[in-house]
Amino acid sequence: MKNLYLCCLIACSLVVLAAEESMHQMHDHEGHLHDTMVDGSLLKVNPVRFDNFVSKLTEAQVAIISVNGMVCDFCARGIAKTFKKDRAVTKVDVDLAGGKVFVAYKINAKIDFEDIKEKILSNGQNATNLQVIKI
Amino acid sequence: MQIALGSINLLLGAIIPPMGIKIISLVLILFSTVNIESRPISYSGGSTLMLLSNRLSDSIYYHYSPTYKYSMGVEFVKNKPLINEYVNFRFTYLLNRNNTPNSQRNLYMQSGVSSNGLDNFFYGIHGDWETRRLFAGFGIKKTEAKVLNYKEEFLQLGFAPYVGAYGDLHTWLMIKTKKNSATDTSTTYPVIKFFKGNALFEVGYNNSSEWDVHLMYRL
Repeated sequence: MKNLYLCCLIACSLVVLAAEESMHQMHDHEGHLHDTMVDGSLLKVNPVRFDNFVSKLTEAQVAIISVNGMVCDFCARGIAKTFKKDRAVTKVDVDLAGGKVFVAYKINAKIDFEDIKEKILSNGQNATNLQVIKI
Repeated sequence: MQIALGSINLLLGAIIPPMGIKIISLVLILFSTVNIESRPISYSGGSTLMLLSNRLSDSIYYHYSPTYKYSMGVEFVKNKPLINEYVNFRFTYLLNRNNTPNSQRNLYMQSGVSSNGLDNFFYGIHGDWETRRLFAGFGIKKTEAKVLNYKEEFLQLGFAPYVGAYGDLHTWLMIKTKKNSATDTSTTYPVIKFFKGNALFEVGYNNSSEWDVHLMYRL
């Protein structure tokens, strides 16, 4: 009976992992912003999460920030709270799997990586890279 | 706060007068807040409210973090066996942190003093290492008081049965081992932790304190 439970558990785990792996492949890429090249680099983001984030945005700039140490949802809460205090910011989301923070700024706002680094550091993590796209 | 109060009383009954036992019990319960070691510092300008309840006590702990480096807090404790209340003033400092793309490692210094007197205080270190799937933590805390000095140690290991996205309900299954020099006992017990958004709920069970319930809300 124990072996049966174990087999079921392993089978479920494999199904979940396979589903996660195939998620990106099954996703329709045509016309989606996560395929955009920024400064010669492809955006490495969770495609579903990123496309949902930008889906209702118009006349905006989106900062995709790579963050080290963002391993926990509870710990990332402060990042969203800190960015939302900025009046130029209209929307914030976190992609834990990719270690990215998405921040939507007003189209005319100045995006300063040093300021972003400080905001991330005030939450105890480190910003390592910034990519910005206009929508 | 998983101290077997009855065992302590039996152990010390032969050598210490009843009033002394009461004081020792009070001290042990006063500083044995092992559960509130998790998330001891918030983001800069952030604060956290924690509620803890078990067979021996109920407590409310509020801490504020002026920066991500340290937090200051006040803990109100209601001692159930001795039917009294007191306050702990706590200070936690982040000694070291290492962030990588997939992990975070922390080392904290913790300290506190009781409203029962400046000669009732504790200090210690605790650390953790965490990925989205695995967790390991340890702590050593030394308490000094008029009637008794003692040391507590713990080791905690855990894993997330699934990896949730931001905003999902997250679950951790953990096992914790604790050792207390005052009672010369160690205990190992399971802990399950859930969190979603700004709220965290943790429950553990062991033979000494029975259920330990811990709620946390990040403000």
